[in-house]
Amino acid sequence: MTADGMRRRDFLRGSAGLAAGALVGAGCGVGPQSAPKVVAQKAAAPKVDGDLLIFNWTEYMNPKVIKGFAKQYGVKVTTSNFDSMPGMMAKLRSGNRYDLIFPTADYVNRLNRQGQLRQLDRGVLRNSAGIYPFFDDPWYDKDSAHTVPYGMYTTGIAWRADKVGELRGSWNDLALEAARGRTFMLDDFQEAIGQANLLNGFDLNTTDPAELERTKATLELQKEFLRGYSTNPAPNLVGGTAWVHHAWNGDVVNARNQSKEPENLKFQTCREGIPVGSDCMAIPANARHPGTATLFIDWILDPENAAENVSWFGYPMPIKGTEDAFAELAADDPQIQITTDDLATGVQFRELPVDDKAAWDRLWTEVKA
Amino acid sequence: MSVAAERPVEVARPAARRREPRRFDRPRALWAVTGLVYAFLFAPILIVILFSFNAQRSLQTFDGFSLRWYRDFLGDESLRASLFTSIEIAAITTVVATVLGTALALGMTRSRSRAGRASGLVLLIPLVTPEIVAGVSAFVLFAQIGVALSVTTIVLAHITFSISYVCVVVRGRLASMGTEIEEAALDLGATRWQAVRLVTLPALWPAVLAAAMLVFVLSFDDFVLSFFTTGEDPQPLPVRIYSALRFGISPTINAIGTLMLVVSAAFIALAVLLPRLLGRNESGLATLTGRSGQ
Amino acid sequence: MTSAFWQRFLYPGALWLLLFFVVPFGIAVLISLGANNEFGGVTYGRNPSNYADALDPLFAPVLLRSLGYAAATAALCLLLGYPVAYCIARFGGRRRNLLIAAILAPFLINYLVRTYAWVALLSDEGLVNRVIVDSGVAGRPVGFLNTPWAVIGGLVYGYLGFMILPIYASLERMDSALIEAGKDLYGSPRQTFWHVTWPQTLPGVLAGTVLVFLPAVGDFVSAQLLGGPDTYMVGNLIQQQYFGAENWPFGAALTIVLMAFLAVFMLFYLRGASSSARREALV
Repeated sequence: MTADGMRRRDFLRGSAGLAAGALVGAGCGVGPQSAPKVVAQKAAAPKVDGDLLIFNWTEYMNPKVIKGFAKQYGVKVTTSNFDSMPGMMAKLRSGNRYDLIFPTADYVNRLNRQGQLRQLDRGVLRNSAGIYPFFDDPWYDKDSAHTVPYGMYTTGIAWRADKVGELRGSWNDLALEAARGRTFMLDDFQEAIGQANLLNGFDLNTTDPAELERTKATLELQKEFLRGYSTNPAPNLVGGTAWVHHAWNGDVVNARNQSKEPENLKFQTCREGIPVGSDCMAIPANARHPGTATLFIDWILDPENAAENVSWFGYPMPIKGTEDAFAELAADDPQIQITTDDLATGVQFRELPVDDKAAWDRLWTEVKA
Repeated sequence: MSVAAERPVEVARPAARRREPRRFDRPRALWAVTGLVYAFLFAPILIVILFSFNAQRSLQTFDGFSLRWYRDFLGDESLRASLFTSIEIAAITTVVATVLGTALALGMTRSRSRAGRASGLVLLIPLVTPEIVAGVSAFVLFAQIGVALSVTTIVLAHITFSISYVCVVVRGRLASMGTEIEEAALDLGATRWQAVRLVTLPALWPAVLAAAMLVFVLSFDDFVLSFFTTGEDPQPLPVRIYSALRFGISPTINAIGTLMLVVSAAFIALAVLLPRLLGRNESGLATLTGRSGQ
Repeated sequence: MTSAFWQRFLYPGALWLLLFFVVPFGIAVLISLGANNEFGGVTYGRNPSNYADALDPLFAPVLLRSLGYAAATAALCLLLGYPVAYCIARFGGRRRNLLIAAILAPFLINYLVRTYAWVALLSDEGLVNRVIVDSGVAGRPVGFLNTPWAVIGGLVYGYLGFMILPIYASLERMDSALIEAGKDLYGSPRQTFWHVTWPQTLPGVLAGTVLVFLPAVGDFVSAQLLGGPDTYMVGNLIQQQYFGAENWPFGAALTIVLMAFLAVFMLFYLRGASSSARREALV
C-alpha cells in the first residue's frame, strides 16, 4: 500500500465524515442559535427551593458572605466562573442553567431583549430599600424589573508613583514618554476603543466610521508605548512590569493589598471622560432554583454583608451602609470613589447594534494584529 | 553495517569489556546542558510550592510560612468540588481511553490491513491539532446534537483526544512483541480470546499502564478542552485557574497548583508501583518510552 | 490469528474518533458557511464570505508570526531536548527511568500555574531581576516578559516534553552495537554521531518536531499571558472571534483555514517519512 494510496483513503474517510456531519447538521436544525424566546416568568418568592448555582467573575464575591448564606439557609452554593461576557453568553446559549448570573449593564439590556431574564420583584426583598434610587429605573432594565445592581466601577489609569511621579489627569497618560514600554492597556475592546473615543472628544459609544478611523489611529499610536494588553492590572503593577496601567478602580485597591508599598500605587480618572459601569445580579429565565436565588440576592443586599463584600473585592456597591467600608479603601484617593453624581454624569457603555459591533470588533482585530 | 546488524550481540559484549574510557564517555558539557534544562523545568515548580506557603498575599516576596492558602482552598466548597471534578474526569477518561486506545493499537498492528493503516493516519490528527480547534469542535458538536454540557461532555471530549496518545505508546511496545507466543498458545488449545486475555494483554500491561499515566496527567491538566465543554457541574480546576489568571489572581493559585502536583504524583506513584505489587519486575516507567526489559 | 479477528479491535476506537472527531469538523465547516445573527448565534446558510474574510491579507502577519514562533519553539526544543534525551539514554545508567520521569514531573503541575510562576519569577521586580540588579550584572531590571521571546519560552516550556520523549524512545530502540561499530569505523565521536546516531534517531526527531510545531501554531495561552502588543498569534485571533466578537462563523472559517495550513505541513511530514519505519516512530 503506497503512501499516496493511504492519503487518498484518508481524504475519502475525511470527506465521508464531513458529508455525514453535513447531513446531521441539516437534519437536526438545532444548533448554536440564540436560545428560544422565553416568556418572562413571574418573579419567584424568596424561599429556598434547592441548592444555588452561581455564575460569576473570579474573585468577585467574598467567600465568607457565601458561606454565611449557605450556613444560614442550609443550602449548598456552587460557583462557576467565566472570564468574559461573551464567554458567559456562550455558556448560557449552550443550555447551561444557572440560578444567578452577573452580567454587565449593557449585557442586561441584551438579555432582556431576548427575554432571557426572569422577573424580579423588588417588593419582596427586605433589603431593596437600601439600593441607590438611581437604579430604580436604569436605562438597561426598565423599572429594574429583572435585576439588582452589584458592583460599580470606573475606568481610569493606575500607576506606580515611585516610577513616574505624577500623571496629568488625561487619557494621554497612556502614551507617556517616561513610561514608554512599561504601559499596559486593558485587553477589552470596549474599554480600549472607549478611551480612545473619549480622548478624541467623541461619544464613548460612537459608531461613526470617520470617528472610528481616528480612534483606530489613536490606538495604533498608543500601541507604540505599550508593553502589553492585560485584564489583570494588580500583579502587573505590583510586579513592576507595569508603571502605567489602564485599569478599573477596584484593581488599584487589590493591588495595594498585595503590595509592600501601597502608597506608591495611585489611580486617576481622566478629564476627557470617565467610563462608569455597573454589574447586575440577575436570575436567568431557565434557572432551576429561582427562589433560592432571590433569597441570595436579598442576602447580598443586606448592608452588613454588602459592606463585607466591598471590603473584600475592592469595588463600591450602590447600597446604603457600604459607603464607610469603601471610603476606608479609597482613603487616599477620592478618584476611586463613585458617587451617584458620577453615575449620572459619567458615560456608560451601551450595547451596539450588530453591524456596529462588528465594526468595533474589526477595528480591534486590526489594531491587535 | 549489515555485518554489525547480523551479529549485534557478539559485537556488543566483548567491545564493552575491552573499551577504554574515553573523554566522550563522561561528557561534562552534555550533563551540564541536561542539568540546565532540568533547572529550567523545575524552577517554576519550586516557586509554586514555596509560595503556596507564603504568609503574605504577595506573589513576589516570601515572608513567613503559613498554611492559610491551603485553608482557604479546602474551606471553599466550590474549589473542593472543582478538585474532585477534575479527578473524576481524569479517572474516567483514563479508563475508557486506555481501553479504546489499546484495542485500536492491537487492531492496527496485528491486523495488517488497509483499515488499520488508514486508522493510523487518522489517529495522527488529534495529536497535532491545536487545542483551540479541538475545543471549538467539541463545543459545536454538543451544541448541534443538543446535548447539555456537563461532566459527561468534558469526559467525552477528553477521551477523544487521549485515544491517540494511548495508541502511540502501546503501539511502540507492540511493535517489538512478536506473535509467536500467541501462536504457541493457540497451538496449545487456547481460543483466540483466551490467547488475547492470557498472553497478549499481560505482556502489554506495562505499556498500557504507562499510557494510562500519561492520559491521566494530560486530562487532569487540560484546560482548553474543558473550557469549552464545561456545563453547570463544578468546573475543572484548570478552567478556574484560567479565569483567575485573567481577572483576579490570588496566592491560592499556588496552593491549588501544589495540590494538583500531589494528586498527579500520587497517581503516577501508584501506576509505577502497581506492577511491582502484582509481582512483575518491569516498571511502567520504562515502557512509557517503548523499550522493555531494561 | 487472522487479520479479520484483529480487525474487530479497530472498530470501537475508530467509531469513537469518527463520531467525536471527524463529525465535529463537518459541523465546523457548516458553521463557517453560516452568518452571525444578532444574538451571537449562527444562522446557517451559504456564505463563503467568511472565508474571504479569513484570507484577508491583514491576517497574514498573524499567521506568519505564529508559524515563526512555532518553528522557533520546535528548534529550541530540539536544541535543548536532544542533548537531554541523549544524555539520559546513553549515560543515565540505572537511574534513567527516574530521570525520564523527572522530565515529566513539571507536567504534574497545571500548565497555567507554571506559566504564572514564570511571570512571578521574571517580572521586573521578581526574583530573577532582583538577583540580576543586586549582584550588579545589570543596572536596571531586564524586561523578560511581554516579548516574543517570552512567548517562545512559554511555548518551549509547555512542549519540551513532547520533543524529548520520542527522541528518547528512538535512542532506546537503537542498537548500541551500531554506535560501537561506528566508533570503529569513523574514529571520532562526532563523526559517529552524524553518521550513525543522528540518522537512526531521525524518526524520533521528526515525530517530536511534528508534535511540537503543529499544536504550537494554534496556541493562545502563552501569547495571552506572556506576550506583548505585537505577539498576537492565530490562536488569539480565533479566540477573539469566539469570545470577543462572538462571531462564530468567522471564527470557524479561521479555524478551518488554520487546519488546512497545518494539513499541508502534515502531508509534507507524511511524504518525507514515507518509509514505514519512520512513520512507526509516531504511529
